Amino acid sequence: MHTSEKCDITVIGAGLLGCFVARSLREYNLSVRVLEAREDVCTGISKANTAIVYTGIDNKPGSLKSELCVRANEGFDSLCTDLGVPFSRCGSLMAVFGPKGEKALIKKYNQGVENGVRGIKLLSAEETHSMEPGLSSEVTASLFVPGTGTVNPWLLCIAAYENASDNGAEFLFNNRVIQMERVNGGFRLVTEDNEFFSRAVVNCAGLFADTVRELTEKPLVRIFRTGADYFVLDKKAEGGVSHIIFHEPEIGKKGLTLVPTTEGNILVGPSDRAASEYPDEADVNGLVQLEKQCKEVVPKLEINKKIRCFAGSRPNTVLVKPEGRRYIKTDNKIPDFSIFEEAGLFSLIGIKTPGLTCAHELSRYLSAHIADYLCCSEINPEFNPVRKPIIKTSELTLEEWKKLVQCNKAYGQIICTCGKITEGEIVGAIRRGAATVNGVKRRVGSGMGCCQGSRCTQRIAEIIARELSIEVNEVTMDGRNSYIMRGGVSCEV
Amino acid sequence: MKYDILIVGGGAAGMAAAIKSSERGASVLLAERDLELGGVLKQCIHNGFGLTYFHEDISGTEYADRFRRAIADKSIEIMTEANVVSICENRTAVIATKSGIFEVSFDFCIMATGCREKSIGSELIGGTRPAGVYTAGEAQKMINLNHYDLGDNFVILGSGNVGQVMARRLKILGKNVAAMIEQNNSLGGMTKNRQDCIEAYNIPVRLNSTVDMIYGEGHVTAVRVKHLDSGDTEIIKCDALITALGLIPDRVLAEELEINGNYLDWLYFCGNCESVHDIVDAVTIQAERLASEICDLTEDKLNA
Ligand SMILES: Cc1cc2nc3c(=O)[nH]c(=O)nc-3n(C[C@H](O)[C@H](O)[C@H](O)COP(=O)(O)OP(=O)(O)OC[C@H]3O[C@@H](n4cnc5c(N)ncnc54)[C@H](O)[C@@H]3O)c2cc1C
Ligand SMILES: Cc1cc2nc3c(=O)[nH]c(=O)nc-3n(C[C@H](O)[C@H](O)[C@H](O)COP(=O)(O)OP(=O)(O)OC[C@H]3O[C@@H](n4cnc5c(N)ncnc54)[C@H](O)[C@@H]3O)c2cc1C
Repeated sequence: MHTSEKCDITVIGAGLLGCFVARSLREYNLSVRVLEAREDVCTGISKANTAIVYTGIDNKPGSLKSELCVRANEGFDSLCTDLGVPFSRCGSLMAVFGPKGEKALIKKYNQGVENGVRGIKLLSAEETHSMEPGLSSEVTASLFVPGTGTVNPWLLCIAAYENASDNGAEFLFNNRVIQMERVNGGFRLVTEDNEFFSRAVVNCAGLFADTVRELTEKPLVRIFRTGADYFVLDKKAEGGVSHIIFHEPEIGKKGLTLVPTTEGNILVGPSDRAASEYPDEADVNGLVQLEKQCKEVVPKLEINKKIRCFAGSRPNTVLVKPEGRRYIKTDNKIPDFSIFEEAGLFSLIGIKTPGLTCAHELSRYLSAHIADYLCCSEINPEFNPVRKPIIKTSELTLEEWKKLVQCNKAYGQIICTCGKITEGEIVGAIRRGAATVNGVKRRVGSGMGCCQGSRCTQRIAEIIARELSIEVNEVTMDGRNSYIMRGGVSCEV
Repeated sequence: MKYDILIVGGGAAGMAAAIKSSERGASVLLAERDLELGGVLKQCIHNGFGLTYFHEDISGTEYADRFRRAIADKSIEIMTEANVVSICENRTAVIATKSGIFEVSFDFCIMATGCREKSIGSELIGGTRPAGVYTAGEAQKMINLNHYDLGDNFVILGSGNVGQVMARRLKILGKNVAAMIEQNNSLGGMTKNRQDCIEAYNIPVRLNSTVDMIYGEGHVTAVRVKHLDSGDTEIIKCDALITALGLIPDRVLAEELEINGNYLDWLYFCGNCESVHDIVDAVTIQAERLASEICDLTEDKLNA
């Protein structure tokens, strides 16, 4: 077993929260090490969500959620400018179909006003349709929230990771924490091959944050997953929307959400259903339900132009209590963001919506607290919040592109034909940490067009193998055993 | 640089159009994004090509080779590993290559960009989206051209020509094809393929059926087949799923030039990018005819 030098703080998990926490902690003079079970960042909850930057109108006034969300939304443009991540403040319409919905609208409106959210407006059916002609003619009213936006959650997470790393946070992948104990006023953490020591631990293990906490603490809170299905439409699908649409149904609880993404696709979802066997397993019935709702809410949307179905998992938290030798659920759910603090162990358990929106603000809030706890509120003067994005040849002028190819010919070789993504961009992604075909995809958007990677997966796998000096049969689609091809020749030819 | 004709794509259609145009005296630039000319023919190592055009039964690769040899004798400018990224209204195109980004101008443009395969993402299928799912053309290329090993036990979803040819290919390689699944009540494709590839190799077929779930965490381990009339389901184990869901003419490049379904009068389509052809001979003949018509137009212009 290899022992690493002691650091101030270990962060467990490199999802949105782990990456932002590591980044915020580096604003102080604190040494930070992130241990991630998987081969890359952004493989958990942060990979599959609705990509919305909320304003705070949905949160209870006075809660930590509403405070952080309002602040996060106001600062989102500058955060994305710093991190070089595209952000679209497209605004949202909450569309309703009758009296029940209208009542909910007014409640939301009042809550928004109370939370200090600016520019929100109740709209008549007519005003709604003039803003979104594709909405069903049965929509009776809506709430317009100009501040709502959408961001690519993969890029946001990756940018936070890169910037945290540039600022000196150490990220170690393929290190799942399997054991943790308290030693000499600090912690000893064990992964398969290594052991680590630190003064404090931040547990950002997403769906497994309860299990990680219980490595040292008595059970108190447990995560119960529920599933969320989505599908994505081709950029060419007609009948789309230009605002985020939240549909409030008259019957039933869960409405439809439609998001015009920063990439120009329409994202439809999420459904709300019981958990599947695996966290990212889509459920056909959930998808069918989404299609049905689309027909009611946006009847002209070309839902037959799907290019991908996927699913995410909600980490719902419930307090548990001992009963005999087991622990059972209580009726207490945890509605607000809550940080479980236990003598140097800080656990973020069950951070659901708006966790993407608030990742940065929640991390700053927590980091200030941890710096205080470790008696080290001294600011790191070298912290640089700016991250340079990967060059996108499709966004360059012809002259700029020509010059770039003169310096590096790989930028002239198109690999992903749907997205016009070059070898240079793919190599850039790999040098910045992409270890799998999907890791490249999350960084540069390859394989996200209408052919869904059928024309570029093989070549990207070959480029990864070349760049990382591994065999192509060792390259995976998305880690674990998701190999793409097996070794050698397929028998005689 | 300025050419009479820019041809985008060097498959069967592009090569035939280039040879014919050049024979008629036009200056031609043929741009192909792959390393070599030939298009899908390169990965078609089976016979069944050339019956009409050469009056011989040859393989796709041989068919392509004959055109490659013919093209080498002509004064045609050929760019390979050259991706045409845009075609503009002012009759210019931007071509991306490793040696630079080029702008060329032309009088006519022939699109010979072939077709693309419908992806699994277009279907409403549950599951974890594991690796080990390939389109038929992708699998054909990986196996026949690059000799990769994709698995031992295959399920094929869809029953078009490409799927059927792949079923036979896998059997020849000693692989198991657990089932071919088709939503209609009969197999697609040409009769000849059905006989030579499916019946001759006893491939199990499920008609009126589809796949509605793909299993496997990481790599595919099984699919759930659903009978569309009865709703009955069956789980079939596999370590690779091949989809042959249909071909769509690839006109992405021309999309911005489309106005109400019409294109500008200097832009033409041939081969699979015009419409999906089962037989390559028909592609060649159509491409040659189109090139002749365009050359007539050029000559008219010169004589006027
Ligand atoms: C369906 C859904 C939709 C959502 N939509 C929105 C939205 O539109 N807007 C919004 O603001 N928020 C949204 N959210 C919330 C947001 O996505 C989450 O709050 C956020 O992604 C949580 O990130 P995380 O870092 O906690 O978890 P994760 O991304 O899951 O990261 C946890 C990481 O910990 C690692 N890990 C686990 N165990 C260990 C271990 N033992 N050792 C080492 N590493 C370990 C995992 O591999 C993983 O990488 C949504 C959430 C869900 C579920
Ligand atoms: C599996 C299979 C089995 C077949 N079996 C038979 C058979 O038995 N008998 C028979 O006669 N026919 C058969 N065919 C049909 C025949 O092979 C095709 O119809 C024919 O080859 C299509 O030629 P094409 O030039 O139109 O398209 P393609 O061969 O697809 O050529 C298009 C070319 O354009 C290039 N390209 C596309 N976009 C760009 C761009 N932007 N810039 C530069 N280049 C670009 C591509 O790289 C490609 O090389 C079969 C086809 C397949 C796939």
